[in-house]
Amino acid sequence: MVYLVFLFLLGLVLGLIAVASNPAPFFGAFGLVVAAAFGCGILVVYGGSFLSLILFLIYLGGMMVVFAYSAALAAEPYPETWGAWSVLVYVIVSVIGVLGAGYWFVGEWDKFMWVAEEFMELGVLRGDFSGVALVYDLGGGMLIVCGWVLLLTLFVVLELIRGMGRGCLRAI
Amino acid sequence: MTPVHFSFSAAFILGLMGLAFHRTHLLSALLCLEGMMLSLFIALSMWSLQLESMSYATTPVLLLAFSACEASAGLALLVAATRTHGTSHLQNLNLLQC
Repeated sequence: MVYLVFLFLLGLVLGLIAVASNPAPFFGAFGLVVAAAFGCGILVVYGGSFLSLILFLIYLGGMMVVFAYSAALAAEPYPETWGAWSVLVYVIVSVIGVLGAGYWFVGEWDKFMWVAEEFMELGVLRGDFSGVALVYDLGGGMLIVCGWVLLLTLFVVLELIRGMGRGCLRAI
Repeated sequence: MTPVHFSFSAAFILGLMGLAFHRTHLLSALLCLEGMMLSLFIALSMWSLQLESMSYATTPVLLLAFSACEASAGLALLVAATRTHGTSHLQNLNLLQC
């Protein structure tokens, strides 16, 4: 299990390196999907299966929208992958930076590498299920705020993409 | 600092540096923002899972709702900039006139 956790953490960091190293947006979205998948693995290992399901369905569903946008709007005839020299410089510098920072902290990792899974018995409700369900009880105020923010975002998007000389971003 | 803390901190810093440095496309900057949101989601989930304070398990979900707002506003800006400027390169936004 420890090796599995290490593999997932490594995949998360490598996925973010793949995003942050400025490839073509098509490949950047692919790196973000990889990072989100490994993040789901981390949450499953630590016992948050419902949070992992939310991350996998909603976040990766949103990523599919970004992926379609990247295919449509930022298409290039010769997209840069991680093998191109300008991207490879960012990758190498990021890997060296992460390894250097990890070398700074690696001395105290041996006593933290266990997995804190506390819900070993068979139960109907896991902790994160009932924890997320509290948003309808104690977190009702934040639920209303979230709904209001999503409604506001709808009108923000509608105002931003309005064309015909009446939108908020115009070529004068 | 545990390995999990180090990993999501490194992921957040990597996303922040990727956002701050030079991007070719606006969509790459939005992807870096999404990566930062991913590391924050994992950080909040790890907080409630490792401390076993399950009433805090709602905070990653709320963060995910706010990040959906951020992503949709960013994509709307991308569409608007592509319409008015022709391309979505960030170099175009540095120019004084379109």
